[in-house]
Amino acid sequence: MTQEEPKNPEKKSFWQNMKEIIYGMASHDMSRYALRTRASMEHLFILITMGDMIGIPILPPYYSLRLLPYVVPQISTWKRRLLREKDVSDAMF
Amino acid sequence: MSLKKIFEEHPERRYIMFGGKGGLGKTTFSAATAYWLAQQGKKVLVFSVDPQASLSDIFQKDIFGKGPVKIMENLWAQEIDADQHIKAYQNEIRKKILDMYGFDKVPDEIEQYIQAASAEPAMEESAIFDAVVDIVIGGEYDYYIYDLVPLGHALYYLSMAKVYDEWINKITKLREEMREYEEMVSRLKREKETEEDQILTELQYIRTRINASSSILTDKEKTGFFFVIIPEEMILIDTAKAAELFAKFDVPIMGYVVNRVVPRELLQQNIPAYLKNRIEMQDKYLEQIKTTFGQQVASHVPELERDVTGLDMIRQLAEIMYGN
Repeated sequence: MTQEEPKNPEKKSFWQNMKEIIYGMASHDMSRYALRTRASMEHLFILITMGDMIGIPILPPYYSLRLLPYVVPQISTWKRRLLREKDVSDAMF
Repeated sequence: MSLKKIFEEHPERRYIMFGGKGGLGKTTFSAATAYWLAQQGKKVLVFSVDPQASLSDIFQKDIFGKGPVKIMENLWAQEIDADQHIKAYQNEIRKKILDMYGFDKVPDEIEQYIQAASAEPAMEESAIFDAVVDIVIGGEYDYYIYDLVPLGHALYYLSMAKVYDEWINKITKLREEMREYEEMVSRLKREKETEEDQILTELQYIRTRINASSSILTDKEKTGFFFVIIPEEMILIDTAKAAELFAKFDVPIMGYVVNRVVPRELLQQNIPAYLKNRIEMQDKYLEQIKTTFGQQVASHVPELERDVTGLDMIRQLAEIMYGN
């Protein structure tokens, strides 16, 4: 009995770990997917509001300017993504 | 119903607009109405939403871009300087960027965008629209008299609120969807709270501003719109068309003011055929105005012997319009 006692918590923590690993694997994928979707939407958002910046005339620019300060850090990634060449592999990854 | 009676019976209508084709007397009537109301002890602001405003000319005082300028007791006038407004707005954006990221100067591509955006054709109108929001939200005057732009333009101005509203609704929806994804990620990662989305907050702020302005324009209780017309065929046809369009935007039309009516007393004098013919022509269209607009005709204003500029002429006109 005295020997089994320390074994049990060890076993538990092993399963706990397994659970966390499985949960982590599943949720990591999900959160990665969610983050990717969110990033795409972010780029769509910038396109809708700041499309003028890459020559797509989008109305109305007056209030877009109000939003400009918040998207400053994303502008270069956004431009890179929109202007990147696309190929078949894009559909796979 | 006379103009005076309309104002007396509807003291809750604080936002008064005069609209019509160019050169028919919108500014003149705005100024005279503002003058009369100020004399009645009301605190009045008459302001122009026209980039080529002429309130400065009628009051014979340079008020362009100087904010509300006191003309006389209870009466203030304002002409919005769109360029000045745009410049201040741009600087505000630049300052925000510098403050937020600790930059020494605004990055080139961002600066280029800021400059290019202000060259957009709609920028001037948008800036005026925004400045008007500031003016009417303030709410410190008893009466706000809009000296409007000519008809077609005024429609554009009115529809701007609708366009903005739809634009804002769409992107707010997108932003909210993005927010859901963000919250999902933080749930999965078991983070306690997500950061506040400043863009969403900003969008909601813009929305309240636009709604405040457009709800005033279409408020049947607080707003009154007068059409300025003259007894001539083209004007009547155009005004009828415009009235239909204005009704579509739910603008509450309070009445029609007929301007430039040649005094009928002249007929008793020996006047040239030219003037007689004009009077005959006007009679024909005045009859038409009576049948089309009926009770909605609030006032007939005669062709005056000189143009209306300066407080003395404005006072004379106010006496004609509102009786004394």
